[in-house]
Amino acid sequence: MTPFSARSVNYDWGLVWDNRDMFWWGLVTALQVSAVALVLSMVFGMLLALGRMGRRPGSILAAAYINIFRGIPALVSVIWVYFGWSLLVGYNFSTFQAGVIALTLLYSAFFAEIFRSALTALSLGQNEAGLALGMSSGRVFFSVKLPQATKIAIPNIGNMFIGMVKDTSVFTVIGLVEIVRVTQNLNATYFQPFVLFTTAAIIYVVLAFVLDFMFRTLEKTLSTPTNGFFATLLTSRRSTRINKLIEVHGDS
Amino acid sequence: MVCALCKISAPTEQIGVSVATNAVTDSTLGEVKVELRDVRKTFGTNEVLHGINLTVSKGEHVVLFGPSGSGKSTILRSINLLEVPTSGSVKFNGVEYGPGDPTEESVIRGRPLELRRSIGMVFQQFNLFPHLTAIHNIALPLRSVKKMSRRDAEEKAAQSLRDVGLLQWSGSFPAQMSGGQQQRVAIARALSLDPEVMLFDEPTSALDPELVGEVLSVMRRLATMGMTMVVVTHELGFAREVGDHNVFMEEGRIVETGGRGFFESCSHPRTQAFMGSVL
Repeated sequence: MTPFSARSVNYDWGLVWDNRDMFWWGLVTALQVSAVALVLSMVFGMLLALGRMGRRPGSILAAAYINIFRGIPALVSVIWVYFGWSLLVGYNFSTFQAGVIALTLLYSAFFAEIFRSALTALSLGQNEAGLALGMSSGRVFFSVKLPQATKIAIPNIGNMFIGMVKDTSVFTVIGLVEIVRVTQNLNATYFQPFVLFTTAAIIYVVLAFVLDFMFRTLEKTLSTPTNGFFATLLTSRRSTRINKLIEVHGDS
Repeated sequence: MVCALCKISAPTEQIGVSVATNAVTDSTLGEVKVELRDVRKTFGTNEVLHGINLTVSKGEHVVLFGPSGSGKSTILRSINLLEVPTSGSVKFNGVEYGPGDPTEESVIRGRPLELRRSIGMVFQQFNLFPHLTAIHNIALPLRSVKKMSRRDAEEKAAQSLRDVGLLQWSGSFPAQMSGGQQQRVAIARALSLDPEVMLFDEPTSALDPELVGEVLSVMRRLATMGMTMVVVTHELGFAREVGDHNVFMEEGRIVETGGRGFFESCSHPRTQAFMGSVL
């Protein structure tokens, strides 16, 4: 007779509801680490993309960074930062800081490639039109190229963000109290692995659905021509201004 | 309200042309706006412009035509430095913007940004910004280059759109407009910055035959108002109508040039053969 036969286990699903606060805070922590890392990764990713598309030696350094950090697993990265960097720089990173840095190091490399492909997808004529109008290169980048490239990149950014949230699960090894750590702690107390880890899995799946929906909505909102409820809401003041101008100049 | 197209003042000087290599000069030259001297452009080992000399005077309408790959667009793009010549002089209002003439010792040099703020350009593929409405395609450079407030920029953009008959399309995105309408917005966008010279790079080549007329009509009005224009086109009917200075090019060289009546009086066999195949 095996020690853990199916019949001998009592599935206590009530545990999930009783400990909903802990799951909730685990979820919030995972989202906080991912969200901060998302912003930083997008900024560094864009800089890396521009570096890679630029001249040597910047392009070589950017390419080297991208190829190295795309290949490092999140688990190795976070241990390297939390234990290795702490010794190197003589500063004890908090688990939150280490998680953010680890994710940023890895995902900057992915975002660099996403932004590079999005910028490459733009027609050269967009840059030329901006320059021919007398706009500076910086203004052309921020007002013409970046908005268009971001729109192209949004579906991939959404995918990356879902991946980032999932990768926070390995940060349990440094003690970050995210969803898996919460699950492990509860399991140590109640020994209900099936119930608790099923719950953790469901949380991740539901979260992925929600994030996917949010990024799809964002994609739709930023699409041109304007499409959807949020886009109409956001552009209503602009539309009113334009209609007023049409009215005024149509009469003059 | 004052019409933007109407605000372009007629030239006070008499119109004239000169193409140095081909020794076409006119004794009635106006103020020189653009001067290209011995302009060469090389891509890798392939030289696509072999020492071009061209002068554009105020109020003049220069038409560049010739077979594909002859260097017409490269000349046009050299004028506003979208293509930087490998060597040669590109002067605008007497200020040097190109690599320059090594024999010329004292010359005032300018930055490409200043040059482009005085020269408007219209592209074959329109190149409107697809993420912006028609009115904001025009307002963006006004805010960026002229440092206008949002309100003033939108006001001026609306006037510019009205001048090309597209005020009702102010809130539309380029994808919602026909090619002809997009090109008219592109012309309005360039004109709203009050350029001294307008460059047109095959502005009707990407349009359906039915839409060519509306763009040519706007260009014709502009020419009538005295705007200095350099036009690359295959619309030789239009060229014959507005061209004060017609330049036929082939393989990176100017083959033949002439003023009004050029299309009836051209003498070079290659020019005649080309026009015979097009007209």
